[in-house]
Amino acid sequence: MKYIVPRLILLLLFAVPLSARSGPPVITLEIRDHLFFPDTIEIPANQKVKLLVINRDDTAEEFESFELNREKIIPGGAKAIIFIGPLAPGEYPFFGEFFPKTAQGKVIAR
Amino acid sequence: MKFDVRSTLIPIFALMALLLNHPAHSDGVVVDKIYHPYIEAMEQEIEWRSVWQDQQPGQENNRVLSRLAYGRSFGDRWFGEAYLVFAESTERSLELEGYELEVRHQLTEQGQYWADWGVIMELEKEDGADIWEFSSGLIVEKELGRWSATANALVIQEWGSDIDDELESTLALQTRYRFKPYLEPALEFHSGQDTKAFGPAMQGNLRLGIRRNLHWEMGFLFGLDSESPDTSIRAGLEYEF
Repeated sequence: MKYIVPRLILLLLFAVPLSARSGPPVITLEIRDHLFFPDTIEIPANQKVKLLVINRDDTAEEFESFELNREKIIPGGAKAIIFIGPLAPGEYPFFGEFFPKTAQGKVIAR
Repeated sequence: MKFDVRSTLIPIFALMALLLNHPAHSDGVVVDKIYHPYIEAMEQEIEWRSVWQDQQPGQENNRVLSRLAYGRSFGDRWFGEAYLVFAESTERSLELEGYELEVRHQLTEQGQYWADWGVIMELEKEDGADIWEFSSGLIVEKELGRWSATANALVIQEWGSDIDDELESTLALQTRYRFKPYLEPALEFHSGQDTKAFGPAMQGNLRLGIRRNLHWEMGFLFGLDSESPDTSIRAGLEYEF
C-alpha cells in the first residue's frame, strides 16, 4: 500500500491522455487512376471511424457523400482525414466529385 | 446511435440564454442566412440573398435587404466574401446601402468532436455615412443521424460619427433534416433587436455539373412578439464553382 497515492496520480496523469489519444480506428482509402481502393469499406456500426484518404493521382479529387454528410477535397498527391459515424447499420455510398463515373464506393456499417 | 442529450444541448441552451439576456441587440433586419461551420477547399461562389419583412413598429414597411457577393476559399479552412448591400422599402426605392467583407474560419474537422466549430468576422460600412459595424461570432453544428442542429451567435460593435456607438448581439438557431440533396426542410429561430422570429425553412443543392452546384435557401419566419416583424421571408441562391 506504500506510495498508493503517488501511483494513482501517475496513473491518472498518463492513463487519461493515452486513452484520449487512442481515438477512433483508422481505415485507409486510396485514390488511384480515379478509383477508390478499396471501393467497399466495412466499419463497426455505432462507432466513429477515421478515414485516411490518400490521393495517389496527380489531380485533385473530392470525397463526397450526402448519406455520410461529408465533402472533402484531397489535392493531387496529398492525404486527408475524414471522420465518419457513429453510423446506424446500413450502406452509405460515396463518390469522387471530379470523376463521378469511375470513383465510386460505399461504407457498410455492421 | 447514441446521443448524449446533456453534453449536446446544455452548452447550446446556455449560449442561448446568455445572448437572449443581453441588454442590447442588433439594429436593422435581424433575420438572415444561417451559416454552417464548414469550408470547402478550391471553391468560389456568387451569391444573392434577400430578406423581406412586412410591418414592424418604428421601421419602414415592406423592407427588403439584399446582398450580392463573390466569395472564395483560401486553403481548406478559410473563406472570404465581399458583399454589396442593397435596401428598399415602401418609402424608398432600391439603393446601395453599404459594403461588407466577411471571413469565416473552420476551427475543427467535421465529425471529430461532439460538435463542429467555426468563427465568422464581418466588417460593414454604410454607403455615404460614417457608420461602421464589426461582427464576430461562433458557428456551431451538431450532427444527429440525418438531423443537423446549427447555432450562430454574433456580437456586433457599431461606431462612427453618424451613429451612437453600440454593442449588440444576435442569435440564430436551425434544426435541419437532410431528406434529399435537393431538399432539406428546417425550423429556425432568430433573435436580435426588436425581433424574435420562428418558422419553417428549407434548403437544397442542385448539381449542375462537375464542381458546379446551385445552392438555394428559403425561410418563412413569424414574429413571436409585438415588437417583431409580423412576417419575414428570406431567400438565397449561391452558384458554387
